[in-house]
Amino acid sequence: MGKLIIDGIETEAAPSKTVLEVARELGIKIPTLCSHPSLPPYGSCRICVVEAIWKGRSKLHTACTFPAWEGEIRTDSEPVRRLRRNILELMLAEAPEAEDIRALAREFGVEQTRFPVREEKENKKCIMCGLCVRVCQDVVGFAAIGFENRGYRREIAAPFREPSDACTACGACSFVCPTGAIDRRLFAKVEPKPIPSEFDQGTTSRPCIYTPFPQAVPNKPVIDTRNCVYFKNGNCQVCAKVCVPRAVDYEQQDEVLEEEVGAIVVATGFDLFDMKTYGSYGLHRHPDVMSGLDFERLLSASGPTKGEVRRPSDGKVPKRVIFVKCAGSRDAEQGMPYCSKVCCMYSAKHAILYKHRVPDGEALVFYIDVRTAGKDFEEFYKRATDEGVNYVRGKVSKVFRRGDKMVVWGSDTISGRKLEVEADLVVLATAMVPDRSALELARMLKIQHNAHGFFTEAHPKLRPVETATAGFYLAGAAQGPKDIPETVAQASAAASKVLELFSRKELTHDPNVAAVDEDLCSGCGICVDVCPYKARELIERKDGKGWVIKVTEVLCEGCGACSAACPVGACQQANLKDKQIEQMARAGLQD
Amino acid sequence: MKKLKSVAELEALRKKAQKQTGGDRTFVTVSGGTCGQARGSVSVLDAVRSEIKNRKLENRVKVRASGCLGFCEREPIVAVYPQGVFYPSVKPEDAPRIVADTVVGGKAIEELLYVDPVSNQKATSDGEILFYSKQQRHILGNNGLIEPTSILDYLGIGGYAALAKVLSGMTPEEVIDTIKQSGLRGRGGGGFPTGVKWETCRNAEGDIHYVVCNADEGDPGAYMDRSLLEGNPHSVLEGMIIGAYAIGASEGYIYVRQEYPLACENFGIALDQAREFGLLGKNILGSGFDFDVKVSRGGGAFVCGESTALMASIEGKPGEPRAKHVHTVEKGLWDRPTNLNNVETWANVPLIINKGWEWYSKIGTEKSKGTKIFSLVGKVNNTGLVEIPMGMTLREIVYDIGGGIKADKRFKAVQTGGPSGGVVPESLLDLPVDFERLVEAGSMMGSGGMIVMDEGNCMVDIAKYFINFLKEESCGKCTPCREGLTQMHKILAAITDGKGKLEDIALLEDLSWTIGNGSLCQLGATAPNPVLSTLRYFKSEYETHIKDRRCPAGVCRALVRYRIEEEKCTGCALCAKQCPEQVISGEPKKTYRIDESKCIKCGICFDVCKFDAVVVE
Repeated sequence: MGKLIIDGIETEAAPSKTVLEVARELGIKIPTLCSHPSLPPYGSCRICVVEAIWKGRSKLHTACTFPAWEGEIRTDSEPVRRLRRNILELMLAEAPEAEDIRALAREFGVEQTRFPVREEKENKKCIMCGLCVRVCQDVVGFAAIGFENRGYRREIAAPFREPSDACTACGACSFVCPTGAIDRRLFAKVEPKPIPSEFDQGTTSRPCIYTPFPQAVPNKPVIDTRNCVYFKNGNCQVCAKVCVPRAVDYEQQDEVLEEEVGAIVVATGFDLFDMKTYGSYGLHRHPDVMSGLDFERLLSASGPTKGEVRRPSDGKVPKRVIFVKCAGSRDAEQGMPYCSKVCCMYSAKHAILYKHRVPDGEALVFYIDVRTAGKDFEEFYKRATDEGVNYVRGKVSKVFRRGDKMVVWGSDTISGRKLEVEADLVVLATAMVPDRSALELARMLKIQHNAHGFFTEAHPKLRPVETATAGFYLAGAAQGPKDIPETVAQASAAASKVLELFSRKELTHDPNVAAVDEDLCSGCGICVDVCPYKARELIERKDGKGWVIKVTEVLCEGCGACSAACPVGACQQANLKDKQIEQMARAGLQD
Repeated sequence: MKKLKSVAELEALRKKAQKQTGGDRTFVTVSGGTCGQARGSVSVLDAVRSEIKNRKLENRVKVRASGCLGFCEREPIVAVYPQGVFYPSVKPEDAPRIVADTVVGGKAIEELLYVDPVSNQKATSDGEILFYSKQQRHILGNNGLIEPTSILDYLGIGGYAALAKVLSGMTPEEVIDTIKQSGLRGRGGGGFPTGVKWETCRNAEGDIHYVVCNADEGDPGAYMDRSLLEGNPHSVLEGMIIGAYAIGASEGYIYVRQEYPLACENFGIALDQAREFGLLGKNILGSGFDFDVKVSRGGGAFVCGESTALMASIEGKPGEPRAKHVHTVEKGLWDRPTNLNNVETWANVPLIINKGWEWYSKIGTEKSKGTKIFSLVGKVNNTGLVEIPMGMTLREIVYDIGGGIKADKRFKAVQTGGPSGGVVPESLLDLPVDFERLVEAGSMMGSGGMIVMDEGNCMVDIAKYFINFLKEESCGKCTPCREGLTQMHKILAAITDGKGKLEDIALLEDLSWTIGNGSLCQLGATAPNPVLSTLRYFKSEYETHIKDRRCPAGVCRALVRYRIEEEKCTGCALCAKQCPEQVISGEPKKTYRIDESKCIKCGICFDVCKFDAVVVE
């Protein structure tokens, strides 16, 4: 194999690759416009032209099509620069509104074109590189757009210049276009259906291959097989083509992992109350009424507006924001009877951050009580009021739109007046409810929960992180509304409880467990079905004549369900047999 | 007709055919290519046929509707054999006399004979006409001897003898060697050695090999391929079959433009006949060799004559070229080895096989062998298709064969190679025409268009015309060709409109360099040639347009001024009466004047003035 010298750097000739590929591997920059890693070389824009010298003869070729044969390549010689400059001048006349071309031209020292603008051309941004047509045809497989006419009359168009059903508004053409020349409305009958980003609460869209959220574990992308073009029609596969380590594998399936573990910490977290019963608050109906979690994303630098406070309906900066606390909390009739505990503090934080971002904006908080039971919490609340956040004591009855404003009806219970306040944005501090998956998990793990679905600890004071079932522990909002410091504290406690369990050579267990009087047991098996801990099983009697119950004592929690269910009185709890209970009762009554 | 199963059966059939058609039998040929038909050959043919029928001569005299005889200026032509009496520009009413006097009486009709425009000599047969006698019509000459729709006619003049020779004893390597030795080079314009191309294609890796005939003739003013396909389709087909045998191809395509209906029809008939006779299909002439040809009709895009665009079009894709770093002989049609040759190249193949490479290589120059067909058009007296040995000088072509410039005007230049070629000026009239010399002169052979221009042609206007053609025909794939030609045309239009700037010449040169070096395909790379060659030989004309705002040839309307010379004007007022804009004023019997600010330059005053008082400046 001969040598290939690119800009003085010697490398192996590689005829199966193009000069562009080899140059890029060597870190040599060659400008391109019509080239895309998902598509075969096309060679239409000619901007990647390089000078090839072979046996003393020099000729200009496009790097994207020219095989990396042996010889010499110059990517920045005067003929190369001259040709690129002239082509860019022609492009500036062809696409005078293409900012990217203007910028590239400047890189080559071209500020002006010597040629008059091509007035007759319709699309003043398009340089006819054909990427959009090729990606639609060869990658996505729709062929919804094509070239119309030939030569200088060429335009990119849908068939018959009518938006067609073939175009799904997938946006691949806009994505690859180097000059932002695509007007989707000319091609598609449908509006694009962005896939809402779960992490951004649907306020932004995400691609079909995406990392679920920053710092996800593992921090790797996943493919959304319901929306991915490859899983729909077998085309595209662009992600696999551009992935350098070739890590994209379409054959991978979701799988169920089975692991044997010694302990389980249940930390299912929380969801927001769905507010269906609070129709008058207008959440989900007006874009400018949002939950506290939505507002949290809006404030985030990685959020939909990169941290700028702009309301969803029209992107304007809201000049008055109303925060409504206890939206669903402390309301036994329509919402949840309990206090969600975190809303007071996060509303104060939201109001302060809003005031920082929009200094001339007004923040108004409707509240029932301000609960600041926590270290430095009261001081934080004080800071909010000091920084100009207005607090109004009273509930909100209705939120509705009037013009481009949201109107809030509420009461001021201190002055006893009814209030009507106009605002640009309304943020509801919606109640915290258990995660939707918690109930199913509770049933599976046989962990008790309260009426609202929060997991119940073994003892509220003495065993706050354990459940009634040995080996199961609780952490965070799965157990009840909690803020982050509390959650971290509880999680740490749960972890040390687990370590304590693992550090023992032997497991200790409450001696109060079930036992079986084998003489009485008829082997009916009723107790097996009622045991919630799966501590009982039927086995064959030693003499082979019939069946008898065996108790796995380490699983038994001594609940007594079996004793109550046994029709013959064979199930008795050790140390709590009927006779013993009787005697205990008697002794107790004698005092 | 039963299929021919061997070479012996073919030869037997040929003997039969020759008995029917050859020898001393009388027959009348009426030329009828597309050009002849346009000049009324169909009604002449009908008149001749009905006269023969009236005289009940059908069994004795055969009437042939032949293809083009090449002498377009004098179509339709009637020739009577065996005497070979040649009648140009025949009208239907001449038919009874021709049949009566020449066919039956055996005598030539004096007043219908060809008269040489220079010497005023009458010519009885084509051999006595300078237009024909200077040519060597090895390929084109057969057009007059056969009816294109008759395979028996073709067999009668020795058709398919080359195929028979190849199949009865030549190996593919021997065939390739013969073509290589002959020195045949591609007639489509590139001039690549045909034998080398065949050999590379034969050796290229691939399960299937294709041969393709490029009949996408698109140069303005070039029509030799059409004429061959219309007039002698079997010769092209025979060449393709031999080529396929040599290359190892079993499938072939002919890519012919839809605008050539007669060529499509006649070639289609030839294919059907060849299949019927067992010259196409499975086991051709019992040799075990299989081959068939499909017709692919093009939509008429000039760019589809480029090999990769042509193949894309056959594949059903838009006709756009691709980068050809890997040649089509290695990866062509459907990425398989494909040998593409032009119509005329294929038609040369049977000739070489029949007469041997030694004979063939004696014709022509050192590096360009054989004959080449040119379409000689423009300002010459004898326009038409001419077949000349390579190396003949332009002077011989223009003045001897072409009969000189019309109306005794002065020769200015000849454009060769079509729009991608260039102009050759008067100073190079003694240039021998072959591949290398034309390129040295800044032009090229191309497919053989030869447009003769006289002093009445403006070279800037000519460049504008060709650049406009190329701009319209650019596929638009790559930026330099699409945008460069568009801008180039704008500049040329400005110059011819009197809005040119002196720096435009440098800009044209810079653009030419950009298009020539930056374009994707050869059509783009050669597109600046009309500008470059006119700049090379006629730069002063550009400068006159720009500096003096004057068109020396009087072609560019915006730069033309009509003026009445006082001393010649008699005051007849004819011009003033005829002027559609009423901008000529004056008093009768005195002199008249043209108001130039209102003159639309229609030229009527110039035409009507009987005293040559109106002059063009």
